[in-house]
Amino acid sequence: MKFIIDRFDGKKNYQQTYTVEKKDIEALTLLGTLLFIKQHQDITLNFTASCRMAICGACGVRVNGHAYLACDTKMTELFEEYKDADTFRISPLSNYTVISDLAVDWEPSIENLRKVKPGLVAKSEFSEKEGCRQNQEEYDRIVGQWDCILCGVCASECNKLSADRSDYMEPFVYTRAWKVANDSRTKDPMIHVKPTVTNGLWNCVHCHECTNRCPKHISAAEDIAGLRAMAMRKGLNSGVGPAHAKSFYTDLVEDSGRLNEIRLALRTEGMSTALRAAANKE
Amino acid sequence: MSEQFTRREFLQSACITMGALAVSTTGADKAFAATSTSTPNTSGMPSCDVLIIGSGAAGLRAAVAARKKNPNLSVVVVSKVMPTRSATTMAEGGINGVIDFSEGDSFELHAKDTVKGGDFLVDQDTALKFATYAGAAIHELDYLGMPFSRNAKGEVNKRYAGGASKIRCNFASDKTGHILTHTCLDDALKHGVKFLMDHHMLDLSIENGRCEGVVLRNIRTGDIAPVRAKSVVLATGGYTRVFWNRTSTPFIATGDGAAAVLRAGLVFKDPEMLQFHPTGVCHGGTLITEAARGEGGILLNNQGERFMKRYVPNKMELAPRDIVARSIETEIREGRAFGHDMEAYVLLDVTHLGKEKIMRDLPQIRHIGMLFENMDLVEKPIAIRPTAHYSMGGIHVTSIDTMATPAPGLYAAGEAACVSIHGANRLGGNSLCDATVTGKIAGTNAAEYAAKADFGAGKRLNDLTLKWTSHFKEITGSGKGNVNDMYALREELGAANWYNMGIFRTESKLLELADKHAEFQARYNAIRIPNANPVFNTAYTEYVELGNLLLASRAALMGATARKESRGSHYREDYLKRDDANFLDWKDVVVGQFKIEERKY
Ligand SMILES: Cc1cc2nc3c(=O)[nH]c(=O)nc-3n(C[C@H](O)[C@H](O)[C@H](O)COP(=O)(O)OP(=O)(O)OC[C@H]3O[C@@H](n4cnc5c(N)ncnc54)[C@H](O)[C@@H]3O)c2cc1C
Ligand code: SF4
Ligand code: SF4
Ligand code: FES
Repeated sequence: MKFIIDRFDGKKNYQQTYTVEKKDIEALTLLGTLLFIKQHQDITLNFTASCRMAICGACGVRVNGHAYLACDTKMTELFEEYKDADTFRISPLSNYTVISDLAVDWEPSIENLRKVKPGLVAKSEFSEKEGCRQNQEEYDRIVGQWDCILCGVCASECNKLSADRSDYMEPFVYTRAWKVANDSRTKDPMIHVKPTVTNGLWNCVHCHECTNRCPKHISAAEDIAGLRAMAMRKGLNSGVGPAHAKSFYTDLVEDSGRLNEIRLALRTEGMSTALRAAANKE
Repeated sequence: MSEQFTRREFLQSACITMGALAVSTTGADKAFAATSTSTPNTSGMPSCDVLIIGSGAAGLRAAVAARKKNPNLSVVVVSKVMPTRSATTMAEGGINGVIDFSEGDSFELHAKDTVKGGDFLVDQDTALKFATYAGAAIHELDYLGMPFSRNAKGEVNKRYAGGASKIRCNFASDKTGHILTHTCLDDALKHGVKFLMDHHMLDLSIENGRCEGVVLRNIRTGDIAPVRAKSVVLATGGYTRVFWNRTSTPFIATGDGAAAVLRAGLVFKDPEMLQFHPTGVCHGGTLITEAARGEGGILLNNQGERFMKRYVPNKMELAPRDIVARSIETEIREGRAFGHDMEAYVLLDVTHLGKEKIMRDLPQIRHIGMLFENMDLVEKPIAIRPTAHYSMGGIHVTSIDTMATPAPGLYAAGEAACVSIHGANRLGGNSLCDATVTGKIAGTNAAEYAAKADFGAGKRLNDLTLKWTSHFKEITGSGKGNVNDMYALREELGAANWYNMGIFRTESKLLELADKHAEFQARYNAIRIPNANPVFNTAYTEYVELGNLLLASRAALMGATARKESRGSHYREDYLKRDDANFLDWKDVVVGQFKIEERKY
C-alpha cells in the first residue's frame, strides 16, 4: 500500500510516496507506521513523538485531511474508516506553520496560552501553606478541560482558523482560559476571560469541528460558549461592557453563550469590535 | 507585582528564538541586559542569567523559583521538544508528600520508607529534608491550581503506593503527571518564563572549574551556537533509554545531561541504579500500571501456571515490584515463557474480572493493550515483560540544600540529578515530588548565584561550538550511510544492555557487555547519516542521543561491575547479599578519566 506524505525541507514543498507491505504495518499504530518508514526507507522524514501513549500531545498529524493523534490511532481503524483504501495521504496539522515535513511550530501557541494568563490566582482565603479546598462538584466542572494534551488536533480542524488566523487563537487556548476562569478556586475569572475577548472570543463560528475530533473528548466550542456567557454576565454586571451589549444579551440562549444563529452573522462583528474597544480602554 | 512584570515581559516578546538571541546587541539580548543586575555580557555571544535545560516538572519549577527569587533576572527554559512533551507528563499514579497527620503519618515515616525502599543507599538527612519539603510542595501545587482529586472534605485525595507504610500518594485521577506538567507550565507562563523549544543541548562548558554555558543546536534551523549563562540548571530527565525498547519512558529519556556532565569531567553518581517495573507491554515496553495486578490481575506462564505461587505464595502478584520482575524474568530464562529474545513474554490475565469491571476500573490499561498488542484484554490475556522505569543514578549534586554540583554555577534537578534520595530503588510516587522539590531548590540557588556572578570567558564554549559544528558536517555531510544503520545499532545496544545488565547481573555477563560496548562505540563512530539538511534533522538528533546513551551505558556498566553486592534494583547473582561493610558509603563513577571514585559527603 501507499502513503503519500506532504513534505517540506525548509525551502520547498513536495509530495513523496512510500510503498509498504500491509502486513508490516497492519498491527501498528499510525505512529508505528511513520517510525517504520523513517527507520527502513527514509531517514530524512521528520515528525515528532515522545510518549507513544497518547498523553504528551506530540504526534498530531493529518490523514486524508483530518487530524489524528498518530500514536493513538491504530492502522486497522484507519482501514475501517477509509473502507480499505490502499493509499493514504499524510500531512502536517493544518493552521500551523510547518517547520519540516510533519513537524509544526508550537511557539505561537505557547504565546497564545500566555495571553490568557492560564496560571491560577487563588482566592484570598487559600494559601500556599495550606492549599485550597474544592468540593466534588466544583472539581468535576473543570476536570474535563484539564485533559487537554496540547496536541493541536482541534486547531487543525478549526474552520475559523482556516479562514483567518490573524484574529483568532487555537481552540485549546480558549479551553485553557475557561478551565481556569471556571475554577472555584479562582479569585477573579475576568483575569482570564478578558484576554480571550480581545483575542477573538466572538469570532468562533460554532461549527464544532474542534469537538468532533479531540482525542480527549473536549469541546472547545462549549468552552468558548462558557467564556462568552461569563463575559456577558460579568461585563453587564460590572459595567465594563459597552452599554449596547445588552441588546445582544437577549440573543443568548439562557446564558449558554451561544448567539441566535440567524442574527449571528449580522451582529457578531459589531459585538466583537465593541467588546474589543471596551477592553482596550482599560 | 508579578502580574505587571508578566505584561512587560510579554511586550518584550516573551518567547525568544535563537535568531533573536544571536543578534546580541539588539532584540532579546538587549531585553536581557536591561533586566540583568550584574555585569552585562560583552562577548557578542547570546546569553541569559539563568539557563534551565529541560521542561519537565523539575525544569519548570526551577524556572519559576528563579524568577521569584529575583524578578530582574532573565530566565530561559530550553527543551529539545515542545515544553509539555516530557516524562513528567506520563506519570500516572501520584505524588508523595505527607499533608494529613491524623492517621499517624509523619515526615519521619516518609523519610524512613524512602530510606528502606532505597535499600539504605539513601542519604538519611537528605531523605528527611526531602520528605518535609514534599509535604509543603503538595499544598503549594494545590494553591497554584493543580486539580488534585478530592476527598469528602474537599482536601487533596491520596492513595496507597508501593513500599509506603502509610497512605500518602496524592493524586489527580490516573494522570497525575500530566496534570502536574500543565500546572507547572501555566505557572511558568504566569511568571514570565521564556522558552527556547526545539533546542537541543549538545554540550556543557566547564572552564576553570566553573560552568560558563552550553552549546545549543536550534533543531529548526540547524544552527549550532554557544549560549553563555551565569548559572545553568540541568533538568534533562533520566537515561532509561539505554534499554531502548524495554522501557516505559519517552523517546527523549536519553541521558543527555548525565552524558554532558561526564564529558565535562564531572561526576555521574550511582549510574548502575536503574529501576525495573514488572509489567510493560511486550512490544516497546509501555507501562501497564500496578492497578492491573492491584485489581486482581494474574500472571501466567506458557504452561498456564500462575507461577508467582512458587516465588511468593502469600503475596502472589502483589509482591514488591523487584521480586515480581525477577520472577517473570526467571520464567523467561527457564523457558516457561512465550516468544523469544527481546520479544519474550508472559501473560497478564484480567479477563476473569469481567468486561464491566475492566471498562470501569482499567480503561487506560485496556486502551494500551489495543494500541501496542493489537488485542482486547477483556477477551484475552496481554503479553507483558518487565520494563526499565526510572534512573536513580544521575548528575552528582553536593546537597539538597542547594542542588549545586561541585562546579560553581552548575545545578541539577529531578531525575537527571542524584542527591541520594532514592538510593538503590525509588518508591512509587517519590519522583514527581523529587522533581518538584529539587527543581525549586535548584532554581532558587541558581538565581542567587547568578545575581552575584559574572559571565565566564567563553573561550572553551567557543571551541566546543566549533567542534559540534564540524561534527554535524562530518556525520551528515558525507552522503554515505544506510538508512537503518543507526536504528539497528540502537536496538542492539538496548538488547545487549538488557541481557547483560538488566534485571540479573553477573560478572561474566558484565565483562561480555564491556566488549560489546567497545564494539558498539566503534560502529557508532563510523556511522554516517544520509541527511545533510540542517532543518529539523531529527536523524542527527537521534544520532547525538544514541551517543549519549552509549556513554551512559558504559558508566552504568562500570558501576554495575564494581558493585559486587546486591542492593535494591541492582541484583548480582554472583553476590546475592547486600554488603554494607564495603559498599554502603560507596562510589561514584567519573568516566571522564574512566575511574571509580570514593564518595565524599
Ligand atoms: C510511564 C511513567 C509513569 C510514571 N509514574 C510516576 C508516578 O506515578 N509517580 C511518580 O512520582 N513518578 C512517576 N514516574 C516518574 C516521573 O514521571 C519522572 O521521574 C519525573 O517526572 C522526571 O521529571 P524531570 O522533570 O526530572 O524530567 P523529565 O520530565 O523527563 O523532563 C526532561 C526534560 O529535559 C528535556 N531535555 C532532555 N535532554 C535535553 C537536551 N539535550 N536539550 C534540551 N532539552 C533536553 C526534555 O525535553 C524534557 O523537557 C513515571 C514515569 C513514567 C515514564
Ligand atoms: S482540546 Fe483536544 S484536540 Fe485540542 S489540543 Fe486539547 S486535547 Fe488536543
Ligand atoms: S467551533 Fe469554533 S473553535 Fe471549534 S472549530 Fe469551529 S470555529 Fe473553531
Ligand atoms: S507520542 Fe505522545 S501523544 Fe503521541
